[in-house]
Order: sequence, then structure tokens, then C-alpha cells
Amino acid sequence: MDIREASDLLTKILEEKKKEQKDLKAQYTVTETETREITMDNFEFSLFRTLFDTSASVSVIADQKPGKTVTNQLNEENLKQAVEDAIAASASGVAEPYYDIAPGLTPEEFSFGPLEPDVDKLLERGAELAKEIKENYPRIMMRTMILKYVRSHGIYRSTNGSEDEVTSGYYAFTVTFAGHEGDKTTGMSGSYVAMKDLDTPFIELGNVRTALEYAQKSLDPMTIEGKFEGPVIFTPDCFAQVLYYGLGVLIDDSVIQDRTSLWKDKMGEKVAADLLTVGLRPWDERIVGHEVHTEDGFRSEDYDAIKDGVLKSFAVNLYTANKCKTECAKNSGFDLIIEPGNTALEDMIAGVKKGLIVGSVSCGLPSANTELAGVAKNAFYVEDGKIVNAVMETMISFKISDLLQNITEISKETVCDGGMVVPYVKAEHVLISGK
Amino acid sequence: MLEDVLRAQKSLFETGAQSVLRGQENRVRRVVIRNGALVENARSNERGVSAKVYKNGVNGFASSAEYSPEAAKKVIVAATENAGYLSKYAGSKKPAYPAVGRGEFLAERFIIDFEQKRIVDVCKQLDAYIAEKYKDLLSRSVVYREDTMEKWIYTSDAEDAHVTYPRITVYTTLTKESNQGQPVELAEAFGGLGNIDDHFKDWNAVYEKIDTLYNKLCQKAEGVYARAGMNTVILDPAVAGMIAHEAVGHTVESDLVDAGSVAGPNLNKQVASELISIVDYANTTPFGAPILPVYVDDEGVKAEDAVLIENGILKGYMHDRESAQRYGVNPCGNARGWTFSDEPLVRMRNTLVLPGKDKLEDMIASVEDGYYLEHTGNGQADLTGEFMFGINMGYEIKNGKLGKAILDTTVSGVAFDLMKTVDMVADQVKCVSWGTCGKKQPMAVSMGGPAIKCKINMGGR
Repeated sequence: MDIREASDLLTKILEEKKKEQKDLKAQYTVTETETREITMDNFEFSLFRTLFDTSASVSVIADQKPGKTVTNQLNEENLKQAVEDAIAASASGVAEPYYDIAPGLTPEEFSFGPLEPDVDKLLERGAELAKEIKENYPRIMMRTMILKYVRSHGIYRSTNGSEDEVTSGYYAFTVTFAGHEGDKTTGMSGSYVAMKDLDTPFIELGNVRTALEYAQKSLDPMTIEGKFEGPVIFTPDCFAQVLYYGLGVLIDDSVIQDRTSLWKDKMGEKVAADLLTVGLRPWDERIVGHEVHTEDGFRSEDYDAIKDGVLKSFAVNLYTANKCKTECAKNSGFDLIIEPGNTALEDMIAGVKKGLIVGSVSCGLPSANTELAGVAKNAFYVEDGKIVNAVMETMISFKISDLLQNITEISKETVCDGGMVVPYVKAEHVLISGK
Repeated sequence: MLEDVLRAQKSLFETGAQSVLRGQENRVRRVVIRNGALVENARSNERGVSAKVYKNGVNGFASSAEYSPEAAKKVIVAATENAGYLSKYAGSKKPAYPAVGRGEFLAERFIIDFEQKRIVDVCKQLDAYIAEKYKDLLSRSVVYREDTMEKWIYTSDAEDAHVTYPRITVYTTLTKESNQGQPVELAEAFGGLGNIDDHFKDWNAVYEKIDTLYNKLCQKAEGVYARAGMNTVILDPAVAGMIAHEAVGHTVESDLVDAGSVAGPNLNKQVASELISIVDYANTTPFGAPILPVYVDDEGVKAEDAVLIENGILKGYMHDRESAQRYGVNPCGNARGWTFSDEPLVRMRNTLVLPGKDKLEDMIASVEDGYYLEHTGNGQADLTGEFMFGINMGYEIKNGKLGKAILDTTVSGVAFDLMKTVDMVADQVKCVSWGTCGKKQPMAVSMGGPAIKCKINMGGR
């Protein structure tokens, strides 16, 4: 059964169910995906995978109660069972008037990215990167490179009359490596980039070159004695990580629902430095996978969660918005676009008297008070405007809500990996502690 | 039960290729109740078939979401073709895998599929108990997750098997206002191998866990910041197990050894105190810990215990068939995949620190000024063995006695350095079997051990 037949069958089953249960609302998506994935271990190709996947998800609201099922078996018996299970699940639920789906959208078709893979070219680009690393980064040990092409075709419908048909394809690669020389090794580092084409050598994309250089420079790290408060320059990847953790406990559904967010009453107020604008923009041309509708069935739009330091939107779904009497977010994803600043990275480093550049933080998820303490990884000690050395066993601690207020500089340079476009960000008053 | 439709398809394996055909179903049941509202109520069933073919030194793999003999044929052909295609890009030609034991293993336990209503009712009862009894909470949530796995494994040159992995986990999170006016949170998980009937037979035992959680949250709400820097600590078995898994276990997975992990140059060297031994158990432990038994892995290798550290000496790594061949050792059944479409990777199973001879009360009494670190919610480590764990419940130890609770803190260090500071190891082992390890794919794992006394770097103020 192909995905159109499966979608039509689900439509028919749900129309029948709606006759018995007038208030039944449903959204359903049927998708087929084909993935080609090639793995290189220790500079040698080792595995070629071809994956044929299908999926049907059915979300229902019946008697103001939600239920959801997912199956990957597209046959009549399983699809009927999926609807029965979703309705049965909803029957066991707790009724609330806040559950709903979007009004019907005008049916649309979307097509993004390459729809046929060039596997030979993908392998060539991978081999080219491996050669570049081997020849020009002799103190790098590559653990794995994974090359991927994914094509998917999906149909989304709702009982309110929506129908989106999306066909998309993209390439991606992940490379993980460590600095290594003799018995010395660094922590793991790496890059992930998603792409619409294979026109550019992989070494030029995302943060690949910088991450390789940082790893090579980290083989003889120093430890910092004692602790001090100082500035930290977060690399784009690291700032995206910190922001993701922070927004999770500041503007996401759960913390808005239970009112534990420190920003629960801050809509329209200043929550960050004026320099900071945080966009969540699935339609930005630099983003590779475009979300076309939200999880509730609204047409996805770009929005700014924070604009010029002012809180503009929570990242909440329709249920939370209805329950907490706020606005629903205009998309459900995390396609992060942070507006660049006016400072060159070089000048940003030159302005540091005593601080760190941090490439990632090894830490747990912060709780509602946004306190985060973790080990600074891929990190460098900076003194009098110069990078002194890589550091190890160094922790950084801060409240994310304070850190966003303490941003003093944002770089002109940005890193784009197909899923985000983020600059370097400098923030003051971070507690830095060594051994 | 996942029906066996694959046995006859073994005849399609190409002569000379080392092939594995795997049929698998993963079932996930998830219910989230937040402050009395059911915010998630979902079931998913995912089944399919995959083939992995090793030929000319490379692997071809293919999978299909269709679970049928026809799909099995399709993936065997596609995987064989993929191996052929990739071999033209391969560098050195590697030899075939050495022989391993052959036979057949059939699971004795089966997966029971409970109606969603039963699951939701359990969560509602748990939530109602909390709501009724503890009215001063800022928020509460109950999260039920069931992730069961069933596989049929057919191989060209190893064991054939039918294996099942039923597992549930219930996470309860409570939030209360601290004496500083800040939200303070504490979560506890329970569950592990088995199903909802196994873990909710005795509601009094469940309520007791909730009462304990609430009491600890109240202590934490009055808690103090830990003192930053190196401290003498006693790690609860849950924390010791996390270090055994994250900071030691990952560095001795062969693929990470190949990537340059700190374990590479340290084989047969002293990397820990003589009091420390760590084993990745396959399916039973000598001290009856509740683990997730693995009998046959996804390459058809019969699972055996892998000794990692013995009396402080690094004794071995964990392997799949490919790396075992390179290292000249026998594989112990560590190659596992999460879903039917995932290739098997080298994964831990049940990684435990072995017990010592000390009594926990003597260990606490021996600490003049330090901490008892009881609960960790998360942890990470890297190739160097440098680790970080969040500690979300712990106590001061003053003059040999447990004191005030501490607020959330973070501990860090280098695993082998920390393990060398261990000077007492408790005689009782505890194990948690609801862990999910992330390494390209998720994987169900268990970890544990006894309480250990050591020195560790703590975050704080």
C-alpha cells in the first residue's frame, strides 16, 4: 500500500468514526522514507546501509481527550488498529477543553532539495574530507564519518480539511574525531552539516575546519588553578546548546503549563541584552529541512522568541496556549537563527583580559532556576587578548537567564550547519573554576 | 509475539558472505500526566526486517519496514549489493570473521501488551496519591515509558535466536519552593526489566518510594550549596554505576579505543585502586542484581561476561566480531541495534562495579568533612575519561554523620584518576536497569555497584 492509499484509507476510517462520534478531531500523517548511509571508520569505508521506512501516525481528540498511535505497517489491518488504538487511548484520558487542532489549511504541495541521490559524489566528497584530514591535520584521529542522503514523501491531513503533501531530500554528514598523538588524546569533537547539494567541499562547511584546528591544539591542555569570574566566548555550537537548554526551562510547554518558568510573566519585557535576537525560522533559506505545518496543524511561520533582548513569544503548542491563555508559537521546531553582531571574532578575543573560549559544555539539563554547571570542553584559556592554551578539568557555572542579560558582544561571523545559523557570543560574569 | 517468518529465508544468504537476518519489533508506550492533566498518551509499534552482510572486508546493510518473507528477500539482496558496491571504495581487504559458536537460543519470557487504559489508570492513581497527600508542591509529573524489544535473529555462521526485552520506567518529578524562594526539583525513576504487573503488584511499595522522594525534596528545599573543589565523598551505588558506565565503560568499547580513547595505551596496566573491579555482565550476576539479561547479540554471538577491570588492572575491551578479530580475542556478545533498521554497535549491557568488604555505615563514619552523593540524573564522559555528572540529591557528611541536604551540583574528573583514589568499597550492590545509553542509537542498559569512597571535584559556590 503506498502512502496515498494509506492516507485515503485513514480518511475513510476516520470519517466512519466521526459518524459515531461527532466531536472527533484527528490529524494523521503517512510518510515513506528512503535513506542511504555510508560509514567510514578510521579512514576506511566500512558500511553501506539502505533503509526503507514507512510510518503512519494518528492523533485524535475525542470527548476533549487526546490519544496518539504510530505504526510503521501500512496495511489495512494495522491502519484500522492504529485508529482504534488512538481512540481507545483517548477514552482513558483526562478531559480538558484546551485540546484542539488548527482550522483547515488550504491544501498545498511542497518540494524541497534533491530528490535523487548522487551516491558516488557523496562518497567522493567524504573521501575528499578524509584525505584533507589525513594530509593536513596529522594530529587528528578520525573516529567515524557518516555520509547520508535522505528522501521522504509524506501526506498530512486533518479532519478539518487540511492536506499537505511534502517531498524532500537532503544530504548530511557527521564527522567525529579527536586530537591524538602517541598516548595523548583529546576529548571527542565533531561536526554535523545538512546540505541541499554536494557543490562545496565538506571542509568548507559548518564548523569543520575550526573544530579540527581546535582539536589539534588541545593535546597539551593546562589546568586552571582556583576559580574566578570572567568572560566566556561561546562558539556558535556551544551557544546554541546553552540556549536550547535555557529555552527548554524558560519558554517551553511544560514550564509554562506548571508556571515554574522564571519568564512566565515576562512577555514583552526585556530578558536579555539588547544585542540578542533569537529567531526560530524554518523558512530561512539557509535551513535545510523546512517544517511546513506545526504539530497542531497551523501553517508554520518564522518568529522571533527574543527580539532586541525583549521576550516576544513562548515556544508553546495549542494546548498550552489555550490552557495558559497565551499565544501559540508560530512553528514547532528549533531552526535557530541568531542575528550576527558587529564585532569580529578576533577583536572579541583581543578584548578578553582573563577568560575562556568554550566549544561545548558537558552538563546535565538545567532545572527551572536555569542554573547550569558543567565541564568546559574544547575550551581555551585566554589572557590579555591572546589564546594561551587548551584547558581541561575546568568547570563553568552560571544561570542561563543571567547569562543572556550579560551578553556584551556578538560576532560578525556565523556558523551555518543547515539546521542553525549562529554567531560567537561573549558573555561576562561566568564562574570559571579549575582544580 | 512477533511471528517467525524469517527462518526459511536463510537459504538466500550468499555463499561465502557472513550474513545476519534480523526481524524486530519495538513497542513504545508513553503517558505523561503533568499536574493532573494528561498531556501525552501515545503508543507506537515499529517492526521490520534487516540484513547485514560482511563480504570482502566491508558491510552491506539494508532494512525494510515491511515484515514478511518477501521483505527479507529484498533486504538480503540489497545488503549483499551494498557490500559489493562499497568494496570498490574499500582500502585494505580484510579477512572473514573467525568462527564463533553456533546453536539456537529461544527466549523463555514473552512481551505482554497491556491496554493503554491500564497504563493511564496506573499513572492516574500514582498522580492522585501525590496530589492528595502533598499539596504544597509547585508542580508534579508522572511519566510512564515502556520500551519493549523482540527479535528473531538468523545467521549464516553464528547462533540463531529469539530474544525479548520487556522493560518499563516510571519517572516522577516533584517541584517545591525552596527556603530561598526558588523552585527546587527532584525526580526518581523506578522500573526496569518486566512489565506493568511486575512493577505495580504492591502499591504500598510504590507509595513508599513517592513518600521518600517527597521527604528528600523537603530536605533539599532547605538545602545548602556544596563547597566547590576536591572533596572526600561517598558515591551511592547509583552514582558509582554511572561512573562505571559513562566514564570507564565507554572508553573500553573497542570502537572508542580505536578512536584513541585513554584505555588504548593502558591495557594490563593499573588504572584504578586494587579495590575496584568492573564487569559488563551478560545475563546473570553472582550477587543477584536485577539486570537486563542479554543471551545472544545481534551478530548471533552468545553473550558472555566481559571483564573490564580486575583488582584495578584494565583487563579488556568490549567488541563486535570485527574488532574482536583485530584484537585477537573472542567477542562476548556486545553488538546490539536499537530498532530493526539500526546496525549493531558495540554496546554495554549490565556494567557493574563489584562489591568490596566495607559496611556503608563505617564508610560514612570515616569521613570527617565531605559529602554523600546519592542521586545523579545525567552524566557524560569522553575519550579521555573526563566526566561530568549532575548530582541532584546528596548530603553533607560532618564528623562521620550525614548532615544537611545539598542543592544541585556537578561533579567532574578523570575516571582513572578518580578510581585510583578509592579507599573503601561497600559490600552491598544495587543496580538500576532503566538506563538508556546514547551512542548514535539509544540502547537499554543497566548499571550499578556498591557505594564507594573516593575524592572528586565538585562544583558549587
